[in-house]
Amino acid sequence: MVNAIKGVFISCDIPMAQYIINMNASVPASDKFIIHILDSTHMFVQPQVEQMIRSQIAKFREDNTYVKPN
Amino acid sequence: MGQHGHGDKGRPFKKFKPSNKFEDSSKRGFDDDDVYGGDDAHDEDDGKVKDFSKLELKPDHLNRPLWACGNGRIFLETFSPLYKQAYDFLIAIAEPVCRPESMHEYNLTPHSLYAAVSVGLETETIISVLNKLSKTKLPKEMISFIHDSTANYGKVKLVLKKNRYFIESPFPEVLKTLLKDEVISRARITSEGTNGDGFTISKAAGEIEGRHDELLNEAEVAAAAEEKETHAFEINPSQVENVKQRCLPNALNYPMLEEYDFRNDTVNPDLDMELKPQAQPRPYQEKSLSKMFGNGRARSGIIVLPCGAGKSLVGVSAASRIKKSCLCLATNAVSVDQWAFQFKLWSTIREENICRFTSDSKERFRGNARVVVTTYNMVAFGGKRSEESEKIIEEIRNREWGLLLMDEVHVVPAHMFRKVISITKSHCKLGLTATLVREDERITDLNFLIGPKLYEANWLDLVKGGFIANVQCAEVWCPMTREFFAEYLKKENSKKRQALYVMNPNKFRACEFLINYHERARGDKIIVFADNLFALTEYAMKLRKPMIYGATSHVERTKILQAFKTSKDVNTVFLSKVGDNSIDIPEANVIIQISSHAGSRRQEAQRLGRILRAKGKLQDRMAGGKEEYNAFFYSLVSTDTQEMYYSTKRQQFLIDQGYSFKVITSLPPPDEGPRLSYHHLDDQLALLSKVLSAGDDAVGLEQLEEDTDEIALRHARRSQGSMSAMSGAKGMVYMEYSTGKGKAPVKSKPKDPSKRHHLFRKRFG
Repeated sequence: MVNAIKGVFISCDIPMAQYIINMNASVPASDKFIIHILDSTHMFVQPQVEQMIRSQIAKFREDNTYVKPN
Repeated sequence: MGQHGHGDKGRPFKKFKPSNKFEDSSKRGFDDDDVYGGDDAHDEDDGKVKDFSKLELKPDHLNRPLWACGNGRIFLETFSPLYKQAYDFLIAIAEPVCRPESMHEYNLTPHSLYAAVSVGLETETIISVLNKLSKTKLPKEMISFIHDSTANYGKVKLVLKKNRYFIESPFPEVLKTLLKDEVISRARITSEGTNGDGFTISKAAGEIEGRHDELLNEAEVAAAAEEKETHAFEINPSQVENVKQRCLPNALNYPMLEEYDFRNDTVNPDLDMELKPQAQPRPYQEKSLSKMFGNGRARSGIIVLPCGAGKSLVGVSAASRIKKSCLCLATNAVSVDQWAFQFKLWSTIREENICRFTSDSKERFRGNARVVVTTYNMVAFGGKRSEESEKIIEEIRNREWGLLLMDEVHVVPAHMFRKVISITKSHCKLGLTATLVREDERITDLNFLIGPKLYEANWLDLVKGGFIANVQCAEVWCPMTREFFAEYLKKENSKKRQALYVMNPNKFRACEFLINYHERARGDKIIVFADNLFALTEYAMKLRKPMIYGATSHVERTKILQAFKTSKDVNTVFLSKVGDNSIDIPEANVIIQISSHAGSRRQEAQRLGRILRAKGKLQDRMAGGKEEYNAFFYSLVSTDTQEMYYSTKRQQFLIDQGYSFKVITSLPPPDEGPRLSYHHLDDQLALLSKVLSAGDDAVGLEQLEEDTDEIALRHARRSQGSMSAMSGAKGMVYMEYSTGKGKAPVKSKPKDPSKRHHLFRKRFG
């Protein structure tokens, strides 16, 4: 019997994978979204969290970027 | 046709912006006209202010070097044949904003114009020269701005006579205007012998006669005597700074002229010192001095030269031109020794005429003119002194100094300046610095504490001239390893974040690789900087290199530095923050920065300054010489961490000076493998557990005393708002004076000693 789960396949660098794993760890058990960690740069997650992950990462990167005030 | 139609088409799409896909498709799907429409909307924000396309070009604009815009910005083409002349002129009248290789940006400000007039440029000259150099007709706004900013200059003078301060002006109405100001009228000291207006008319006073004649000759005005009457009132010495501040362009706009006519000063004894013949000031040093002594008198102000460009020669030259008592202030005991040495090296001053006054060496001085070298702390110290130093301070206080020479003015906290300046009475103040930036934005205070900026050298020009080293700056990006980044992200490790990104094994390997490369392949001398003490010790121990930090004894420091200078086996030394300013290591030509003190632009520039002293033969260093670069500045940064933010911020000052940072992503090269440390995961994990088990205090920054810039930084980091408000600059300072009842908000200045409870004030001063 084959079970199919719809999800999003994420491919990223090592630190970002850690970031997503950390994000997953910080939410309550019912909201966990990682279905499977394939290796250190690939994972499979619930489809509805894609935007959330994108915006979180964008914000994270934003926080680490200095913009010269004018 | 289209404008209307495009608008209809464009708008609905914009409303869908939140979704990424729609935005993408809108960008790809539209033709050029629609993109143009988008730009139009953007223009409404900031485009209009900066759109100067309507300025009229002169027919021969190709031959003219600069663009002058209505908002006060001036752009200079450095490839123009007139560049040199235009640069000299612009640096005198405007503030440099950014100076990359081919195009410089300057900003006209009231302060910069004040500085311009104080070095002797007249309003009409400024406008006509600017017009001559500009490709476009000068915008009306600019002309009226120059007029407004310079009109009142020179009408008021601040004069020090027999240890009393006077405000002089030939125009009694101007003095009356000034006295309407609350701060100034409170600072006034009323004395007998005044006329109806209450001003002393000093025409008749014998001592000043000579000065008067001189003025007349100089200006070659045969004006009637009554017009040359000088009206004056005396002000309280402790209020001088406040009065000066009220007179600045942003307040009453009667900036005070402070000139010292030292040649005609017969009251203070002369000091016998000349520059030695072998002391040949370089062209830019000569130029900065000519700004200071433009009309035969000495002006107060600040001279900005990069580290290693020979600031001390400028200082010594100024002192030997004035030839009066000179008080030289440095930041610490080591630089006191260096200054004393520089005085002996460059001038013919006799040994017994130089006194050093530090906590270790208290050389008494009496009687005649002297050069006294001491630290800011010694003078500003408010606590109980030993009897000996109390006597010396008394001597310093009672003396009229010809020149107050202040080194590294950017590091000294404003309140300490105030104290120093209120204690010492000097005719002329000269501030020297390499980096006129501070994180607490208090740099503008220097305008009234010392004076306007007289000269600022262009770093790249000095590099081209071979006067300072040509440095290759690089930012090395080191990705975090998986385990370190996982710990970095954990909330409970927030205090250890810095330690985690500094100890990142990839960074360590990059550092090790660079040290090996420069030591072996090039035979360079390397300084590694780390603010984080934990990292400093770990790195130095693992790589078996000597290190110096705050607690290292003087003897040990000297031993290590001596070995670094002379021995072939010691080519790398690890330094903590103590190495930023005070330690002089001319041999080093490579800097590797593994951790740095948050976002301090000044620290970055000062560190670069450690390797700026020019090395090797001049012809090799000149453009087209054998070595394109002879010094290297590496900043190692762990990517995806806060360090990226700080690193970019720190570089801003150097980028504004025209330096560019090359980003290197592939260090160490993959084939280095096990030759470098922490190749195996086990080693990395052992390091990780070491970092995690270290106490929170052990992994923090090294705390040095009196580093107020850092305190300001910590404030600024927590609040995203206005930095100057947090540090109590700008508005706050104004508040203190205007409310008058001592009710100024105190919240952001915990370290200001004047705010301390009176019981504690005694102890800490």
